[in-house]
Amino acid sequence: MDGPDRAQDRAHARAPEMELIREAQAGSRAAFDALVRQYEQQVLRLALHLTGSEHDAEDIYQEAFLKAFRYIGNFRFECSFYTWIYRIVTNLCLDQLRRRKTRREDQAVVVDQSGDEIDVLASVSDNRSFSNPGKELDRKVLGERIQAALGKLTPRERMVFELKHYQGLRLRTIGEMLNTTEETAKNTLFRATKKLRIQLAGLR
Amino acid sequence: MNCELAHERIVLAAYSELPDDQTHELDRHLATCNECSREREQLLALKTLASAYPVLEPDPHFVTRSRIRLEEELDAIPPKRWYERFGQRMLNNFASLQAAPAAALLLLIVGAGAGTLGGYEYAQARAAHTASHAAAQAAARGDSSTTASAPAEVASISSIVRQPNSEIVDVTYDQLVPQHLQGSLDDPAIRQLLMLASENSSSPGVRDDSVGLLAAECRAGHACQGEGIRDALMVALRYDKSETVREKALQGLEPFVAEDMRVRDAVLEALLNDSDPRIRSAAITELEPVEADTSVRQVLFTVANSDHNPRIRTASREILSRAPVIQ
Repeated sequence: MDGPDRAQDRAHARAPEMELIREAQAGSRAAFDALVRQYEQQVLRLALHLTGSEHDAEDIYQEAFLKAFRYIGNFRFECSFYTWIYRIVTNLCLDQLRRRKTRREDQAVVVDQSGDEIDVLASVSDNRSFSNPGKELDRKVLGERIQAALGKLTPRERMVFELKHYQGLRLRTIGEMLNTTEETAKNTLFRATKKLRIQLAGLR
Repeated sequence: MNCELAHERIVLAAYSELPDDQTHELDRHLATCNECSREREQLLALKTLASAYPVLEPDPHFVTRSRIRLEEELDAIPPKRWYERFGQRMLNNFASLQAAPAAALLLLIVGAGAGTLGGYEYAQARAAHTASHAAAQAAARGDSSTTASAPAEVASISSIVRQPNSEIVDVTYDQLVPQHLQGSLDDPAIRQLLMLASENSSSPGVRDDSVGLLAAECRAGHACQGEGIRDALMVALRYDKSETVREKALQGLEPFVAEDMRVRDAVLEALLNDSDPRIRSAAITELEPVEADTSVRQVLFTVANSDHNPRIRTASREILSRAPVIQ
Protein backbone atom coordinates (compact mmCIF):
# COMPACT_ATOMS: atom_id res chain seq x y z
CA MET A 1 0.00 0.00 0.00
CA ASP A 2 3.06 2.23 0.43
CA GLY A 3 5.76 2.80 -2.18
CA PRO A 4 4.05 2.55 -5.55
CA ASP A 5 0.81 4.18 -4.37
CA ARG A 6 2.57 7.17 -2.80
CA ALA A 7 4.61 7.64 -5.93
CA GLN A 8 1.44 7.58 -7.96
CA ASP A 9 -0.15 10.13 -5.63
CA ARG A 10 2.78 12.47 -6.08
CA ALA A 11 2.64 12.05 -9.83
CA HIS A 12 -1.06 12.83 -9.80
CA ALA A 13 -0.55 15.93 -7.67
CA ARG A 14 1.81 17.30 -10.30
CA ALA A 15 -0.18 16.21 -13.33
CA PRO A 16 -1.98 18.92 -15.24
CA GLU A 17 -5.66 18.96 -14.46
CA MET A 18 -6.70 18.04 -17.97
CA GLU A 19 -4.77 14.79 -17.81
CA LEU A 20 -6.35 13.91 -14.51
CA ILE A 21 -9.80 14.59 -15.88
CA ARG A 22 -9.19 12.41 -18.93
CA GLU A 23 -7.90 9.61 -16.74
CA ALA A 24 -10.87 9.94 -14.43
CA GLN A 25 -13.20 9.83 -17.42
CA ALA A 26 -11.48 6.64 -18.53
CA GLY A 27 -12.34 5.13 -15.17
CA SER A 28 -9.31 5.82 -13.00
CA ARG A 29 -10.39 6.15 -9.36
CA ALA A 30 -6.94 7.35 -8.39
CA ALA A 31 -7.19 10.25 -10.82
CA PHE A 32 -10.62 11.17 -9.52
CA ASP A 33 -9.35 11.03 -5.94
CA ALA A 34 -6.57 13.44 -6.91
CA LEU A 35 -9.17 15.84 -8.31
CA VAL A 36 -11.16 15.61 -5.10
CA ARG A 37 -8.09 16.50 -3.06
CA GLN A 38 -7.51 19.57 -5.20
CA TYR A 39 -11.02 20.94 -4.63
CA GLU A 40 -12.24 19.57 -1.34
CA GLN A 41 -10.96 22.40 0.84
CA GLN A 42 -12.70 25.06 -1.23
CA VAL A 43 -15.91 23.10 -1.47
CA LEU A 44 -16.08 22.55 2.27
CA ARG A 45 -15.18 26.15 3.01
CA LEU A 46 -18.00 27.42 0.83
CA ALA A 47 -20.57 24.90 2.05
CA LEU A 48 -19.63 25.50 5.68
CA HIS A 49 -19.95 29.26 5.48
CA LEU A 50 -23.14 29.10 3.48
CA THR A 51 -24.97 26.60 5.67
CA GLY A 52 -23.33 27.40 9.00
CA SER A 53 -23.45 23.71 9.83
CA GLU A 54 -20.71 21.05 9.61
CA HIS A 55 -23.33 18.37 9.10
CA ASP A 56 -25.00 20.14 6.19
CA ALA A 57 -21.66 21.09 4.69
CA GLU A 58 -20.51 17.47 4.75
CA ASP A 59 -23.73 16.35 3.05
CA ILE A 60 -23.21 18.88 0.29
CA TYR A 61 -19.57 17.78 -0.08
CA GLN A 62 -20.63 14.13 -0.41
CA GLU A 63 -23.39 14.79 -2.90
CA ALA A 64 -21.25 17.14 -4.95
CA PHE A 65 -18.35 14.76 -5.40
CA LEU A 66 -20.57 11.74 -5.94
CA LYS A 67 -22.37 13.67 -8.67
CA ALA A 68 -19.04 14.72 -10.13
CA PHE A 69 -17.95 11.09 -10.15
CA ARG A 70 -21.11 9.90 -11.85
CA TYR A 71 -21.17 12.63 -14.47
CA ILE A 72 -17.50 13.27 -15.11
CA GLY A 73 -18.04 11.51 -18.44
CA ASN A 74 -20.23 14.44 -19.45
CA PHE A 75 -17.53 17.04 -18.88
CA ARG A 76 -16.59 18.31 -22.31
CA PHE A 77 -13.87 20.84 -21.45
CA GLU A 78 -16.12 23.70 -22.61
CA CYS A 79 -15.61 25.46 -19.30
CA SER A 80 -12.97 25.01 -16.64
CA PHE A 81 -13.30 22.08 -14.28
CA TYR A 82 -13.33 24.59 -11.44
CA THR A 83 -16.48 26.19 -12.83
CA TRP A 84 -18.01 22.76 -13.46
CA ILE A 85 -17.45 21.59 -9.92
CA TYR A 86 -18.63 24.86 -8.45
CA ARG A 87 -21.75 24.67 -10.60
CA ILE A 88 -22.58 21.33 -9.00
CA VAL A 89 -21.81 22.63 -5.52
CA THR A 90 -23.76 25.88 -5.88
CA ASN A 91 -26.79 24.04 -7.18
CA LEU A 92 -26.71 21.71 -4.21
CA CYS A 93 -26.30 24.70 -1.91
CA LEU A 94 -29.28 26.40 -3.51
CA ASP A 95 -31.36 23.26 -2.97
CA GLN A 96 -30.26 23.24 0.66
CA LEU A 97 -31.16 26.89 1.11
CA ARG A 98 -34.57 26.35 -0.48
CA ARG A 99 -35.26 23.44 1.82
CA ARG A 100 -34.37 25.58 4.81
CA LYS A 101 -36.70 28.34 3.71
CA THR A 102 -39.64 25.97 3.61
CA ARG A 103 -38.70 24.32 6.89
CA ARG A 104 -38.19 27.63 8.66
CA GLU A 105 -35.65 25.96 10.91
CA ASP A 106 -33.38 28.90 10.85
CA GLN A 107 -35.76 31.51 12.08
CA ALA A 108 -33.61 34.26 13.45
CA VAL A 109 -33.64 34.28 17.21
CA VAL A 110 -32.95 37.94 17.39
CA VAL A 111 -36.33 38.89 16.01
CA ASP A 112 -39.01 39.65 18.59
CA GLN A 113 -42.69 38.70 18.49
CA SER A 114 -43.82 41.49 16.25
CA GLY A 115 -41.06 40.73 13.76
CA ASP A 116 -39.07 43.84 14.62
CA GLU A 117 -35.38 43.46 14.76
CA ILE A 118 -33.88 43.74 18.16
CA ASP A 119 -31.06 46.16 18.22
CA VAL A 120 -28.91 43.82 20.23
CA LEU A 121 -25.85 45.93 20.17
CA ALA A 122 -27.68 48.88 21.65
CA SER A 123 -28.67 46.78 24.64
CA VAL A 124 -25.16 45.48 25.16
CA SER A 125 -23.35 48.77 24.97
CA ASP A 126 -23.79 52.21 23.44
CA ASN A 127 -20.51 53.74 22.45
CA ARG A 128 -18.25 51.17 23.97
CA SER A 129 -18.97 48.69 21.18
CA PHE A 130 -15.45 47.45 20.71
CA SER A 131 -14.06 47.63 24.21
CA ASN A 132 -12.90 44.60 26.21
CA PRO A 133 -14.06 42.28 27.73
CA GLY A 134 -17.40 42.57 25.97
CA LYS A 135 -15.66 42.55 22.65
CA GLU A 136 -15.85 38.83 22.04
CA LEU A 137 -19.49 38.69 23.01
CA ASP A 138 -20.23 41.65 20.78
CA ARG A 139 -18.57 40.00 17.84
CA LYS A 140 -20.36 36.76 18.43
CA VAL A 141 -23.72 38.42 18.70
CA LEU A 142 -22.92 40.53 15.68
CA GLY A 143 -21.98 37.42 13.75
CA GLU A 144 -25.34 35.92 14.59
CA ARG A 145 -27.08 39.10 13.52
CA ILE A 146 -25.34 38.93 10.17
CA GLN A 147 -26.27 35.29 9.74
CA ALA A 148 -29.87 36.11 10.52
CA ALA A 149 -29.88 38.92 7.99
CA LEU A 150 -28.33 36.65 5.38
CA GLY A 151 -31.03 34.11 6.12
CA LYS A 152 -33.64 36.64 5.09
CA LEU A 153 -32.32 36.79 1.53
CA THR A 154 -33.72 34.57 -1.19
CA PRO A 155 -31.55 31.51 -1.93
CA ARG A 156 -30.20 33.08 -5.11
CA GLU A 157 -29.45 36.41 -3.43
CA ARG A 158 -27.74 34.59 -0.60
CA MET A 159 -25.72 32.55 -3.09
CA VAL A 160 -24.58 35.54 -5.13
CA PHE A 161 -23.65 37.54 -2.05
CA GLU A 162 -21.73 34.58 -0.68
CA LEU A 163 -19.80 34.03 -3.86
CA LYS A 164 -19.10 37.72 -4.41
CA HIS A 165 -18.50 39.07 -0.93
CA TYR A 166 -17.19 36.05 0.96
CA GLN A 167 -15.56 33.96 -1.74
CA GLY A 168 -14.36 36.88 -3.89
CA LEU A 169 -15.40 35.51 -7.27
CA ARG A 170 -15.98 37.73 -10.26
CA LEU A 171 -19.56 38.40 -11.27
CA ARG A 172 -18.98 36.87 -14.67
CA THR A 173 -17.82 33.60 -13.08
CA ILE A 174 -20.76 33.70 -10.68
CA GLY A 175 -23.08 34.02 -13.67
CA GLU A 176 -21.51 30.96 -15.31
CA MET A 177 -21.77 28.92 -12.16
CA LEU A 178 -25.42 29.77 -11.65
CA ASN A 179 -26.14 29.20 -15.32
CA THR A 180 -27.16 32.78 -15.90
CA THR A 181 -25.74 36.02 -17.26
CA GLU A 182 -23.34 38.45 -15.61
CA GLU A 183 -26.08 41.09 -15.82
CA THR A 184 -28.51 38.93 -13.84
CA ALA A 185 -25.82 38.22 -11.26
CA LYS A 186 -25.21 41.97 -10.92
CA ASN A 187 -28.89 42.74 -10.36
CA THR A 188 -29.11 39.95 -7.81
CA LEU A 189 -26.16 41.45 -5.98
CA PHE A 190 -27.81 44.88 -5.92
CA ARG A 191 -30.97 43.43 -4.42
CA ALA A 192 -28.98 41.48 -1.86
CA THR A 193 -26.99 44.48 -0.63
CA LYS A 194 -30.11 46.63 -0.48
CA LYS A 195 -31.95 44.06 1.61
CA LEU A 196 -28.99 43.53 3.92
CA ARG A 197 -28.67 47.24 4.51
CA ILE A 198 -32.31 47.40 5.56
CA GLN A 199 -31.89 44.35 7.81
CA LEU A 200 -28.81 45.69 9.51
CA ALA A 201 -29.93 49.29 9.80
CA GLY A 202 -29.04 50.82 13.12
CA LEU A 203 -26.06 48.61 13.63
CA ARG A 204 -22.73 50.33 13.53
CA MET B 1 -25.42 60.20 -14.15
CA ASN B 2 -28.62 59.79 -12.13
CA CYS B 3 -28.50 58.65 -8.52
CA GLU B 4 -30.15 55.27 -9.14
CA LEU B 5 -27.45 54.34 -11.59
CA ALA B 6 -24.86 55.74 -9.21
CA HIS B 7 -26.12 53.48 -6.41
CA GLU B 8 -25.60 50.44 -8.60
CA ARG B 9 -22.17 51.56 -9.63
CA ILE B 10 -21.26 52.17 -6.02
CA VAL B 11 -21.92 48.49 -5.31
CA LEU B 12 -19.86 47.41 -8.29
CA ALA B 13 -17.03 49.72 -7.34
CA ALA B 14 -17.04 48.41 -3.79
CA TYR B 15 -16.47 44.93 -5.21
CA SER B 16 -13.90 45.98 -7.80
CA GLU B 17 -16.24 45.20 -10.65
CA LEU B 18 -16.46 48.67 -12.14
CA PRO B 19 -14.44 49.40 -15.29
CA ASP B 20 -11.87 52.16 -14.83
CA ASP B 21 -13.59 54.80 -16.95
CA GLN B 22 -16.86 54.31 -15.08
CA THR B 23 -15.02 54.54 -11.76
CA HIS B 24 -13.73 57.97 -12.74
CA GLU B 25 -17.24 59.08 -13.70
CA LEU B 26 -18.61 57.81 -10.40
CA ASP B 27 -15.98 59.63 -8.37
CA ARG B 28 -16.94 62.89 -10.09
CA HIS B 29 -20.60 62.29 -9.21
CA LEU B 30 -19.85 61.45 -5.59
CA ALA B 31 -17.83 64.64 -5.20
CA THR B 32 -21.00 66.66 -5.81
CA CYS B 33 -23.82 64.39 -4.53
CA ASN B 34 -24.15 64.09 -0.73
CA GLU B 35 -26.87 61.47 -0.83
CA CYS B 36 -24.77 59.18 -2.96
CA SER B 37 -21.75 59.77 -0.74
CA ARG B 38 -23.81 58.62 2.23
CA GLU B 39 -24.93 55.64 0.20
CA ARG B 40 -21.32 54.71 -0.41
CA GLU B 41 -20.50 54.99 3.28
CA GLN B 42 -23.42 52.74 4.14
CA LEU B 43 -22.28 50.13 1.69
CA LEU B 44 -18.74 50.15 3.06
CA ALA B 45 -20.18 49.80 6.57
CA LEU B 46 -22.18 46.81 5.39
CA LYS B 47 -19.06 45.21 4.02
CA THR B 48 -17.33 45.70 7.35
CA LEU B 49 -20.28 44.31 9.27
CA ALA B 50 -20.48 41.29 7.03
CA SER B 51 -16.93 40.40 8.04
CA ALA B 52 -18.21 39.78 11.56
CA TYR B 53 -19.30 36.44 10.12
CA PRO B 54 -15.92 35.37 8.76
CA VAL B 55 -15.17 32.54 6.37
CA LEU B 56 -13.36 29.89 8.38
CA GLU B 57 -11.01 27.27 7.06
CA PRO B 58 -12.52 23.83 7.62
CA ASP B 59 -10.90 21.87 10.42
CA PRO B 60 -8.42 19.29 8.99
CA HIS B 61 -10.11 16.47 10.89
CA PHE B 62 -13.40 17.49 9.35
CA VAL B 63 -11.87 17.42 5.89
CA THR B 64 -10.35 13.98 6.47
CA ARG B 65 -13.59 12.62 7.90
CA SER B 66 -15.52 13.85 4.90
CA ARG B 67 -13.02 12.40 2.47
CA ILE B 68 -13.08 8.99 4.14
CA ARG B 69 -16.85 8.90 3.98
CA LEU B 70 -16.71 9.86 0.32
CA GLU B 71 -14.19 7.10 -0.43
CA GLU B 72 -16.51 4.56 1.15
CA GLU B 73 -19.44 5.69 -0.93
CA LEU B 74 -17.35 5.69 -4.10
CA ASP B 75 -16.15 2.16 -3.34
CA ALA B 76 -19.75 1.04 -3.21
CA ILE B 77 -20.49 2.19 -6.76
CA PRO B 78 -20.15 -0.62 -9.34
CA PRO B 79 -17.63 0.12 -12.13
CA LYS B 80 -19.00 1.25 -15.48
CA ARG B 81 -19.33 -1.34 -18.21
CA TRP B 82 -16.85 -0.97 -21.01
CA TYR B 83 -19.47 -0.07 -23.56
CA GLU B 84 -20.92 2.61 -21.30
CA ARG B 85 -17.54 4.32 -21.02
CA PHE B 86 -16.82 3.76 -24.67
CA GLY B 87 -20.18 5.18 -25.73
CA GLN B 88 -19.67 8.15 -23.42
CA ARG B 89 -16.25 8.86 -24.86
CA MET B 90 -17.61 8.61 -28.39
CA LEU B 91 -20.37 11.05 -27.56
CA ASN B 92 -17.87 13.46 -25.99
CA ASN B 93 -15.65 13.29 -29.05
CA PHE B 94 -18.65 13.69 -31.28
CA ALA B 95 -19.67 16.86 -29.48
CA SER B 96 -16.27 18.46 -30.08
CA LEU B 97 -15.99 17.20 -33.62
CA GLN B 98 -17.24 20.02 -35.78
CA ALA B 99 -15.93 19.60 -39.31
CA ALA B 100 -15.55 15.89 -39.98
CA PRO B 101 -18.91 14.60 -41.13
CA ALA B 102 -17.79 11.11 -42.08
CA ALA B 103 -16.00 10.48 -38.82
CA ALA B 104 -18.87 12.09 -36.97
CA LEU B 105 -21.33 9.75 -38.63
CA LEU B 106 -19.17 6.76 -37.73
CA LEU B 107 -19.02 7.92 -34.12
CA LEU B 108 -22.77 8.32 -34.13
CA ILE B 109 -23.22 4.75 -35.35
CA VAL B 110 -20.79 3.44 -32.76
CA GLY B 111 -22.53 5.44 -30.10
CA ALA B 112 -25.87 4.07 -31.22
CA GLY B 113 -24.37 0.59 -31.11
CA ALA B 114 -23.16 1.10 -27.58
CA GLY B 115 -26.56 2.45 -26.70
CA THR B 116 -28.29 -0.54 -28.24
CA LEU B 117 -26.03 -2.84 -26.29
CA GLY B 118 -27.00 -1.00 -23.17
CA GLY B 119 -30.62 -1.27 -24.18
CA TYR B 120 -30.26 -4.97 -24.81
CA GLU B 121 -28.69 -5.41 -21.41
CA TYR B 122 -31.61 -3.55 -19.91
CA ALA B 123 -34.17 -5.62 -21.81
CA GLN B 124 -32.48 -8.81 -20.72
CA ALA B 125 -32.59 -7.71 -17.11
CA ARG B 126 -36.31 -6.97 -17.55
CA ALA B 127 -36.95 -10.38 -19.12
CA ALA B 128 -35.19 -12.03 -16.22
CA HIS B 129 -37.69 -10.50 -13.85
CA THR B 130 -40.69 -12.00 -15.64
CA ALA B 131 -39.49 -15.60 -15.79
CA SER B 132 -42.08 -18.19 -14.75
CA HIS B 133 -41.36 -20.59 -11.88
CA ALA B 134 -41.41 -24.02 -13.51
CA ALA B 135 -39.68 -23.10 -16.74
CA ALA B 136 -37.04 -21.14 -14.85
CA GLN B 137 -36.24 -24.11 -12.68
CA ALA B 138 -36.25 -26.44 -15.65
CA ALA B 139 -33.70 -24.28 -17.42
CA ALA B 140 -31.56 -23.58 -14.35
CA ARG B 141 -28.93 -25.91 -13.07
CA GLY B 142 -29.24 -27.59 -9.71
CA ASP B 143 -26.41 -25.76 -7.95
CA SER B 144 -27.17 -22.31 -6.61
CA SER B 145 -25.37 -19.18 -7.75
CA THR B 146 -22.95 -17.13 -5.67
CA THR B 147 -22.90 -13.32 -6.13
CA ALA B 148 -26.15 -11.82 -7.28
CA SER B 149 -26.40 -8.07 -7.70
CA ALA B 150 -27.88 -8.41 -11.22
CA PRO B 151 -31.08 -10.34 -11.94
CA ALA B 152 -29.11 -12.74 -14.21
CA GLU B 153 -27.05 -14.63 -11.63
CA VAL B 154 -23.42 -15.53 -11.94
CA ALA B 155 -23.23 -19.33 -11.87
CA SER B 156 -19.48 -19.76 -11.75
CA ILE B 157 -16.34 -17.78 -12.40
CA SER B 158 -13.88 -19.72 -14.49
CA SER B 159 -10.95 -17.34 -14.72
CA ILE B 160 -9.56 -14.03 -13.55
CA VAL B 161 -6.59 -12.59 -15.39
CA ARG B 162 -4.98 -9.26 -14.62
CA GLN B 163 -3.51 -7.43 -17.58
CA PRO B 164 0.13 -6.61 -16.92
CA ASN B 165 0.94 -3.10 -15.68
CA SER B 166 -2.61 -1.99 -15.54
CA GLU B 167 -5.69 -1.97 -13.40
CA ILE B 168 -7.62 -3.86 -16.06
CA VAL B 169 -8.82 -7.34 -15.18
CA ASP B 170 -10.43 -9.95 -17.45
CA VAL B 171 -13.05 -12.08 -15.77
CA THR B 172 -14.63 -15.09 -17.47
CA TYR B 173 -17.82 -16.29 -15.93
CA ASP B 174 -20.97 -18.24 -16.63
CA GLN B 175 -24.24 -16.56 -16.24
CA LEU B 176 -27.54 -18.01 -15.23
CA VAL B 177 -30.30 -16.24 -17.10
CA PRO B 178 -33.85 -17.26 -16.13
CA GLN B 179 -35.92 -17.76 -19.27
CA HIS B 180 -39.53 -18.36 -20.05
CA LEU B 181 -41.03 -20.51 -22.83
CA GLN B 182 -44.65 -21.09 -23.64
CA GLY B 183 -45.83 -23.66 -26.16
CA SER B 184 -47.97 -26.73 -26.85
CA LEU B 185 -47.07 -30.20 -25.64
CA ASP B 186 -46.45 -31.16 -29.24
CA ASP B 187 -43.73 -28.56 -29.52
CA PRO B 188 -40.36 -30.35 -29.55
CA ALA B 189 -38.75 -27.51 -27.59
CA ILE B 190 -41.30 -27.87 -24.81
CA ARG B 191 -40.86 -31.62 -24.80
CA GLN B 192 -37.11 -31.20 -24.58
CA LEU B 193 -37.49 -28.95 -21.56
CA LEU B 194 -39.89 -31.37 -19.93
CA MET B 195 -37.46 -34.20 -20.40
CA LEU B 196 -34.67 -32.15 -18.92
CA ALA B 197 -36.92 -31.24 -16.06
CA SER B 198 -37.66 -34.86 -15.34
CA GLU B 199 -33.99 -35.46 -14.62
CA ASN B 200 -32.52 -32.14 -13.77
CA SER B 201 -34.82 -30.16 -11.60
CA SER B 202 -34.07 -30.06 -7.91
CA SER B 203 -37.74 -29.67 -7.03
CA PRO B 204 -39.79 -32.91 -6.89
CA GLY B 205 -42.87 -30.86 -7.72
CA VAL B 206 -41.37 -29.77 -11.00
CA ARG B 207 -40.18 -33.28 -11.83
CA ASP B 208 -43.64 -34.53 -10.95
CA ASP B 209 -45.26 -32.06 -13.29
CA SER B 210 -42.93 -32.78 -16.15
CA VAL B 211 -43.04 -36.54 -15.85
CA GLY B 212 -46.80 -36.40 -15.46
CA LEU B 213 -47.12 -34.40 -18.66
CA LEU B 214 -44.80 -36.67 -20.58
CA ALA B 215 -46.55 -39.78 -19.30
CA ALA B 216 -49.93 -38.37 -20.25
CA GLU B 217 -48.63 -37.74 -23.75
CA CYS B 218 -47.51 -41.33 -24.05
CA ARG B 219 -50.75 -42.76 -22.72
CA ALA B 220 -52.72 -40.55 -25.06
CA GLY B 221 -50.81 -42.08 -27.91
CA HIS B 222 -49.04 -38.91 -29.07
CA ALA B 223 -45.67 -39.44 -30.67
CA CYS B 224 -43.59 -40.76 -27.87
CA GLN B 225 -40.58 -42.49 -29.31
CA GLY B 226 -38.28 -40.40 -31.44
CA GLU B 227 -37.55 -37.66 -28.96
CA GLY B 228 -36.49 -40.03 -26.24
CA ILE B 229 -39.48 -39.42 -24.03
CA ARG B 230 -39.71 -43.08 -23.29
CA ASP B 231 -36.10 -43.03 -22.17
CA ALA B 232 -36.79 -40.10 -19.91
CA LEU B 233 -39.66 -41.97 -18.31
CA MET B 234 -37.55 -45.05 -17.83
CA VAL B 235 -34.81 -43.03 -16.19
CA ALA B 236 -37.36 -41.40 -13.93
CA LEU B 237 -38.82 -44.79 -13.02
CA ARG B 238 -35.40 -46.17 -12.17
CA TYR B 239 -33.72 -43.25 -10.45
CA ASP B 240 -36.17 -40.66 -9.20
CA LYS B 241 -36.28 -40.34 -5.44
CA SER B 242 -39.93 -39.36 -5.33
CA GLU B 243 -42.55 -42.13 -5.39
CA THR B 244 -45.18 -40.04 -7.08
CA VAL B 245 -42.78 -39.25 -9.88
CA ARG B 246 -41.88 -42.90 -10.34
CA GLU B 247 -45.53 -43.85 -10.29
CA LYS B 248 -46.34 -41.38 -13.04
CA ALA B 249 -43.42 -42.60 -15.10
CA LEU B 250 -44.65 -46.17 -14.76
CA GLN B 251 -48.11 -45.15 -15.91
CA GLY B 252 -46.59 -43.43 -18.92
CA LEU B 253 -44.70 -46.58 -19.91
CA GLU B 254 -47.69 -48.88 -19.73
CA PRO B 255 -48.65 -48.72 -23.44
CA PHE B 256 -45.20 -49.93 -24.44
CA VAL B 257 -44.69 -52.89 -22.14
CA ALA B 258 -45.83 -55.32 -24.79
CA GLU B 259 -43.99 -53.96 -27.80
CA ASP B 260 -40.76 -52.59 -26.30
CA MET B 261 -38.36 -54.96 -24.58
CA ARG B 262 -36.45 -52.18 -22.93
CA VAL B 263 -39.62 -50.86 -21.36
CA ARG B 264 -40.54 -54.35 -20.22
CA ASP B 265 -37.12 -54.75 -18.61
CA ALA B 266 -37.45 -51.41 -16.89
CA VAL B 267 -40.82 -52.37 -15.44
CA LEU B 268 -39.48 -55.76 -14.36
CA GLU B 269 -36.68 -54.02 -12.58
CA ALA B 270 -39.15 -51.76 -10.84
CA LEU B 271 -41.08 -54.85 -9.73
CA LEU B 272 -37.95 -56.38 -8.27
CA ASN B 273 -36.22 -53.35 -6.76
CA ASP B 274 -38.60 -50.50 -6.14
CA SER B 275 -38.96 -49.65 -2.48
CA ASP B 276 -42.58 -48.60 -2.75
CA PRO B 277 -45.08 -51.50 -2.69
CA ARG B 278 -47.64 -49.46 -4.60
CA ILE B 279 -45.25 -49.19 -7.49
CA ARG B 280 -44.34 -52.87 -7.39
CA SER B 281 -48.03 -53.65 -7.35
CA ALA B 282 -48.70 -51.39 -10.31
CA ALA B 283 -45.80 -53.00 -12.14
CA ILE B 284 -47.37 -56.44 -11.73
CA THR B 285 -50.62 -55.16 -13.18
CA GLU B 286 -48.82 -53.65 -16.15
CA LEU B 287 -47.00 -56.91 -16.84
CA GLU B 288 -50.14 -59.00 -17.10
CA PRO B 289 -50.43 -58.70 -20.91
CA VAL B 290 -47.03 -60.34 -21.19
CA GLU B 291 -47.31 -62.82 -18.34
CA ALA B 292 -46.37 -65.64 -20.72
CA ASP B 293 -42.93 -64.18 -21.30
CA THR B 294 -40.23 -66.36 -19.65
CA SER B 295 -38.25 -63.49 -18.20
CA VAL B 296 -41.44 -62.08 -16.75
CA ARG B 297 -42.32 -65.41 -15.22
CA GLN B 298 -38.86 -65.75 -13.74
CA VAL B 299 -39.18 -62.40 -12.04
CA LEU B 300 -42.68 -63.19 -10.84
CA PHE B 301 -41.38 -66.42 -9.35
CA THR B 302 -38.69 -64.55 -7.43
CA VAL B 303 -41.16 -61.95 -6.26
CA ALA B 304 -43.69 -64.60 -5.20
CA ASN B 305 -41.10 -66.06 -2.88
CA SER B 306 -39.09 -63.14 -1.60
CA ASP B 307 -41.13 -59.95 -1.67
CA HIS B 308 -41.69 -58.40 1.75
CA ASN B 309 -45.23 -57.47 0.97
CA PRO B 310 -47.72 -60.37 1.28
CA ARG B 311 -50.23 -58.92 -1.15
CA ILE B 312 -47.57 -58.67 -3.81
CA ARG B 313 -46.49 -62.25 -3.18
CA THR B 314 -50.07 -63.35 -3.53
CA ALA B 315 -50.62 -61.36 -6.73
CA SER B 316 -47.51 -62.84 -8.27
CA ARG B 317 -48.51 -66.38 -7.41
CA GLU B 318 -51.90 -65.79 -8.84
CA ILE B 319 -50.53 -64.73 -12.20
CA LEU B 320 -48.10 -67.63 -12.24
CA SER B 321 -50.92 -70.11 -11.56
CA ARG B 322 -53.02 -68.74 -14.40
CA ALA B 323 -50.63 -69.05 -17.31
CA PRO B 324 -49.31 -72.42 -18.50
CA VAL B 325 -45.71 -73.06 -17.51
CA ILE B 326 -44.47 -73.71 -21.00
CA GLN B 327 -45.55 -71.73 -24.03
